[in-house]
Amino acid sequence: MIRLKIDELKPGMILARSVYNQQELLLLENDTPLTKKRIWMLKTWGIDQVCVKGESQDDGGTVFETEPETGETIEMELRAKFADVAGDSVMVEIMKAAGRQLQKSLSDPEKKNEPV
Amino acid sequence: MNPSDLGRIISRVEDLPTLPRTVLRITELVNDPKSSARDLSRVITDDQVLAARLLKLVNSSFYGFPQRISTITGAIVLLGFDAIRSLLLTTSVFDLFSNRRKVSLLRQEQFWDHSLGCAVGAKVIGNYLRYDKVEELFVSGLLHDIGKIVEMIFLQKAFKEIIQLVKDRNILMIAAEENILGYSHPLVGKLLAERWNLPPKLTSVIQHHHQPSEAGRFVQEAAIVHLADILCRSLNIGYGGDNKMPPLDRTAWDSLRIKSGQIETIMAEILKEFEDITLFITYSP
Repeated sequence: MIRLKIDELKPGMILARSVYNQQELLLLENDTPLTKKRIWMLKTWGIDQVCVKGESQDDGGTVFETEPETGETIEMELRAKFADVAGDSVMVEIMKAAGRQLQKSLSDPEKKNEPV
Repeated sequence: MNPSDLGRIISRVEDLPTLPRTVLRITELVNDPKSSARDLSRVITDDQVLAARLLKLVNSSFYGFPQRISTITGAIVLLGFDAIRSLLLTTSVFDLFSNRRKVSLLRQEQFWDHSLGCAVGAKVIGNYLRYDKVEELFVSGLLHDIGKIVEMIFLQKAFKEIIQLVKDRNILMIAAEENILGYSHPLVGKLLAERWNLPPKLTSVIQHHHQPSEAGRFVQEAAIVHLADILCRSLNIGYGGDNKMPPLDRTAWDSLRIKSGQIETIMAEILKEFEDITLFITYSP
């Protein structure tokens, strides 16, 4: 687990501890992968540091655990989601179309979670 | 379902918040054939927050009017009474439920995104089918899962168990609700809608969005929201509480007469409009 300042966070990093605001309102649960939007949200709540998953290395560097969306994970998630309805031909069409649309937004640099 | 359960939930629904007075007044005016745009604008301008929101909405790219609309009366004339009521209802309903402690902000935000996604989805499908009141579809999509919010707030203990069951068994939330409560969010949502005197069409869509073919004279509307829900889940727009796809009601699907080859075009439009709309209706607890 590594404690980072809000400006050092990058999309894809995973929260190691839940984040609360000053009034003890739960903002984000642990294990939540960060996105640009979520980092922005934490900033607007005045959070200045959080704990993310990762380890310090002997050479002084750090390795962060991340959860990047890839084409393969999109396919896998879709198949798991549609497992119970795979006998319905329309649902299969929907799954395939969703897969293509999700892949497309992945390759679109505008929508990608660029590092802040 | 066990009648005592039904009685219990109805008694709880009686404790539910009521709609803000302004929205109730607006609903009355919209339903009154004698009221004018000026009457309506007087009520709206009394509430500065609503007035500001309305102007922000009509001037957004979502509507695409070429000129800037600077008066409430102008907005009413352009959009029509029903659309105004829908828009105001929309923003007010979510205010009621925002900023509840103990519910993770992420969960609230993702739930809001799911509702907004379904609203956009229903509108896009409605446009595609040349349905004439797409604003009503928008609101129906936005409120279809309102029963889940009621459970989240008023049945906190059971709701936690439901979430846990969904997690443990990777099942649909509606299945977990039936298992733990003996009833599910469409019924809870219907009770709330009745309590709020929402129009019968809206109430019916909320009640039947999982089995739209049972929605009687509102089959088409319920089927549109049903499909919008499925498309949003498939596109990962927000999070409705589980990671499974609800079964498609084939009777309802067939009644819509959408060719399966057209689904992707509809999806692309939903993604585009969803991105546009989140720029101006952002969830802010």
